Amino acid sequence: MATSRRKRLGMMFAAGAAALALTLTGCASNGEGGSGGSDRPLRVWSGSMTPINNNFNPFSVDTAAHFTFGPIYEPLFFFNQLSADPATGLIGDKYEYSEDGTVLTIKIKADQKWSDGTALTAKDVAFTFGYGPNKDPEMVSVEATDDTTVVLTYSVPKFTAASLILGSTWIIPEHIWKDIKDYTTETNPKPVGSGPYVLKSFSDAAYTVEANPEYRDGAPAVKTVQVIGIDSNQSSEDLLKTGKIDWVGQFIANPDAITKDGRISTLNQQQDPTTMLTCSSVELGCTGAQTDPAVRQAINVAIDRSAISDKAFAGLSGIASPSFALLPRDEKWLSSPDLAKSPQEPNITEADGILEAAGYTKGSDGFYGKDGKSFEIDLFSPDGWTDYNDAAKLISEQAAKAGIRINNRTVSEAEYWTPLANGNFQMALYGVTQSLVADPYSTYDRYFSTPATAKVGEQPVKGVNYARYSNPIVDAEVKVAAATEDEAIKKDAYAKIQTEIARDLPYIPVVLNASQAFFNTKDYTGWPSEKDLYAAPLPYLSTASAIVLTHLKPAK
Amino acid sequence: MADNTTPEVPVRTGPTPTSTLATIRIAKNDRKRRPLPRISGKLLTGIIIVVVIALFGILAPFFVQDPRFSGNDALLPPGDGHILGTTKLGYDVFAQLAWGTRGSLFVGVVAGALALLLAILFGVLAGYFGGVVDEILTLLTNIMLVIPGLPLVMVIAAYVQNTEGLGPFARSSFLVAIVLGITGWAGSAVVLRATAKSLRMRDYVAASRVAGERPLRVIFVEILPNLVPLLAAQLIFGVIFAILGEAGLSYLGLGPTGSITLGTMLNDAQTGQAVGSQAWWWFIPPGALIALLGTGLSLINFAIDEIVNPKLRLAPQAARNQRKANREGRSVSENGAIA
Amino acid sequence: MVFYVRRILFYVITLWAAVSLNFLLPRLLPGDPAAIMLGKLRRANGGRPLSEETIRGITSMLGAEKGMTFWDQYIAYWGRILQGDLGISSTRYPAPVIELIGAALPWTVILVGVATVLSFVLGIVAGAWVGWKRGTWVDHLVPATTFLQSIPYFWLALVLVAVLSVQLGVLPIIGGYDVFDFPGGPEWSWAFFGSTVVHAILPAITIVISSVGGWLLGMRNMMVQTMSEDYVVTAEAKGLTPSRIRTRYAARNAVIPSLAGFGIALGFVVAGSIVTEQVFSYPGIGKLMIQSVQGLDYSLMQGVFLVITLAVLAANFLMEMIYGFIDPRVRHRG
Repeated sequence: MATSRRKRLGMMFAAGAAALALTLTGCASNGEGGSGGSDRPLRVWSGSMTPINNNFNPFSVDTAAHFTFGPIYEPLFFFNQLSADPATGLIGDKYEYSEDGTVLTIKIKADQKWSDGTALTAKDVAFTFGYGPNKDPEMVSVEATDDTTVVLTYSVPKFTAASLILGSTWIIPEHIWKDIKDYTTETNPKPVGSGPYVLKSFSDAAYTVEANPEYRDGAPAVKTVQVIGIDSNQSSEDLLKTGKIDWVGQFIANPDAITKDGRISTLNQQQDPTTMLTCSSVELGCTGAQTDPAVRQAINVAIDRSAISDKAFAGLSGIASPSFALLPRDEKWLSSPDLAKSPQEPNITEADGILEAAGYTKGSDGFYGKDGKSFEIDLFSPDGWTDYNDAAKLISEQAAKAGIRINNRTVSEAEYWTPLANGNFQMALYGVTQSLVADPYSTYDRYFSTPATAKVGEQPVKGVNYARYSNPIVDAEVKVAAATEDEAIKKDAYAKIQTEIARDLPYIPVVLNASQAFFNTKDYTGWPSEKDLYAAPLPYLSTASAIVLTHLKPAK
Repeated sequence: MADNTTPEVPVRTGPTPTSTLATIRIAKNDRKRRPLPRISGKLLTGIIIVVVIALFGILAPFFVQDPRFSGNDALLPPGDGHILGTTKLGYDVFAQLAWGTRGSLFVGVVAGALALLLAILFGVLAGYFGGVVDEILTLLTNIMLVIPGLPLVMVIAAYVQNTEGLGPFARSSFLVAIVLGITGWAGSAVVLRATAKSLRMRDYVAASRVAGERPLRVIFVEILPNLVPLLAAQLIFGVIFAILGEAGLSYLGLGPTGSITLGTMLNDAQTGQAVGSQAWWWFIPPGALIALLGTGLSLINFAIDEIVNPKLRLAPQAARNQRKANREGRSVSENGAIA
Repeated sequence: MVFYVRRILFYVITLWAAVSLNFLLPRLLPGDPAAIMLGKLRRANGGRPLSEETIRGITSMLGAEKGMTFWDQYIAYWGRILQGDLGISSTRYPAPVIELIGAALPWTVILVGVATVLSFVLGIVAGAWVGWKRGTWVDHLVPATTFLQSIPYFWLALVLVAVLSVQLGVLPIIGGYDVFDFPGGPEWSWAFFGSTVVHAILPAITIVISSVGGWLLGMRNMMVQTMSEDYVVTAEAKGLTPSRIRTRYAARNAVIPSLAGFGIALGFVVAGSIVTEQVFSYPGIGKLMIQSVQGLDYSLMQGVFLVITLAVLAANFLMEMIYGFIDPRVRHRG
């Protein structure tokens, strides 16, 4: 602690000598933080706010502590959503589908142990798939045929559900969970898992996990990891800047300020498309001008995506594709290079042409309409989602230039989700979740197919086709793709789907959302890099965070 | 009376500044009773600050760029063309400030007026009627007074703003102003009640009551005019409360996101990571303007306080006179008073 | 005695009114909070049905119970309150609201308590001094305090953090204690106590800066008025020492109205602390309130609101009792 600093303190808080002394001790102990070394915990902010929930129940999907998923409980395999590589085995070793896709045989690694020392066998895996919400109504049977083999039998082909079954079903120990009847209210404060870390201590401000000595690959090199609760991005940014924390995944508009002293590095991945979700189908009960594909097409060419990316997303977002395939990961599934990018610059002439051809005329107020009445569309975005709110402001302004009236409306989160699910909206900024594997199937199935939607006023039972998009060609091709592993057939099916959705635009792509990660490369090595993207370096991203942690080593 | 004593600050020569409606009334009211007191430095400073900011809010929006024009470059520091730079979206900060000031003043005035109206209703009626009416109204006032304001505003705002079917109104500054108004009247009501109660006992009020005047007429003709300085003070207090309240609500995400106010500007700057981007020109001006406006209004209140409560004005003057006298060797006694 | 009976009666009525207001707000205001809340809980529960008990808990707090008269709902609501059952939080599912509040309350009580007392003492001392020095240059300091009062709390807090914590690095940025030094949570040790003090400095300074002006002004004005009272003039005429006049005669009497205003001012401090806690991630009840509002966790929001109101009521009650004890006039007037 520099003397000048001490003096400054003294002047500022002459109020009490005791407080001053305490301040200095506080500072002194904080000073250790920057020294690195293997005994120091790696400090992470995974997005938890204080008070952190003392909940390590892997079935509390939304409210359990982040490290429940991945570092403590594991799935069978890890699907790296950044690459087209095959899945990496965790508990699992190999898996195989039967010819028709209804029988899934999983081999797990031998001699594994739970963190309490009990053996982890295929029985635990079989128990997991038969437990509580993991039970799939389409599952016929699940059986552990020997200590390392599990056979899952389904009534329908499950080719496309591999990432769900194998990549996000958290394997739990039978000897503990067989006694837990009500998994919904269980908080599981002393979790016994198979992952690389075990819970060491918990407080509502932070929790600490330590290396699991029973871990199948041996205890990881980073011995302790502390996950802290922070309530605002600003605070986290400040802590990162002052060297208090080592790893965060959050949006920072000005990353250079963080990385300039060389301690922290950043990696920016763009995956999930931000779209303008439209209530598109008149048959299913949607109302408003956006039900006309011509209007959607005009908006699609009228907006200035490069300005939106620069201003609303601080230039960190990626270019969205109207095919909804993630490029370059899903390159092989893209049917035509024309569908690689949505238009980046506005083309008002083209928008005019589309609207006029569809019978719209510009009124005296400068806005398009039919029968002398200009139309207007409400565009929702949830309050406090700054990038969305900003994008909505820009879209509204840009559309006005093309004579399309879009009213920017921010609503609270509660007023956002319910109307979206029920179809009581015209247009909303909405994030489509990218498929976890290098195959856009789940996007087409969950967001574009008729079984995934519902009439306006009802919520979709299966899937999230909030756009109320219903197209028989898409439905048929989704079915074709689900029932095969033959790439040529799949590719043909996807090509037809892509043509339909890029023309109809039930979701108008805006940008690919940025996910920024910041991590301490001075004190720890082994982080993912542009060259070696073995996992997304995002601490909130369940299994990926565990994979990253096992790769890390304290710097010498 | 001490009106011929030296004023605290010498009266400035030159043109008198434009004054707000409230202060004109105070001055007029004052004139009836005694010669016009000279405008104190505090009042003058307060009036100048408030008038300048009010004029800025009223007039500047006509001259500045569209505050939601995103065509400018993002995060430009103050300089050519943009006096206060631009925001993350390229909005001109000066233009936003002009509109934001207008928005905040609107919230402040609407909420302040509503609160004053309720304070009159609860305070003056209670003070005037006394008895059971007083008991009930005072009880209500006191309950409102002890229930902490901001949490109540937050709870009400959370419910009201999430009502389905309100449309853009749910996020309008008018609704925020109403919520702030109906929660911010209790303090004023207490003050008004006390004064109204003492006024009721005055002979001229008693006379008009005995003469059979209707109560409402007595209140409006005999009591309220005498409360004008106090009402002005309470209105000003209400305006400050509402402007700060709006800023606080906006920071918490409960503000009028549909309109531009100083609070929503601050919230935009905060969520837009103005601090992290070192865009002080986006973050500092709205906060400073709120503080300045609050100061100006408080200074006026200060001066009103001194008019309502002459001791506050006379005692320091007396002390000053005495010291002056001491210096000039006309001391009566070392610590004695000559006032 | 009449005074105490009257005041206790008032607080009993106010208590009843506050608890009833908490009952009425979600029912009278538009919208259907119970339905929204149940929806949120169902989502938190993974889309599975909720237990009867949970549903009843929510509806008796937030309303819209089917087939129950308003009166029956009111009785059921009181039953819940008296058992200390404030429902279940949706943002912290399945944690009971009362537990969340219990964990957060001590932090706020200490922060707000210390800051309020600090600001009160500072304001009174400075106000007495400024009032004593009436008619000198010191008078010009008084308007400056109004500037401090007019600064938005959170803005001040953010500026303080940016300068003191991030630029200079002298004070911690977030939290109620150093989570890095005390990963296991709060413990009974001097080191921990020291850590909490260090972490409370900046939030407390924010609250003190923003609220000290009010005390100062009130005290100064009372002091000025008291100084022109006959008994002070008499004391001066008798030739008592200025310091004796200042403390024994003037300040002592001038401070009484400030004490009376303590309760009301507390409301403002609580409001300020809510916002301040958010900036500093301080683990108090204000932050809980903000999170509940942002997450539309109505059960938590109602619960926190109730507890804050009760706490302020209790503080007011305490102050009034002390006030009545100090100033006999108050006791006899009623």
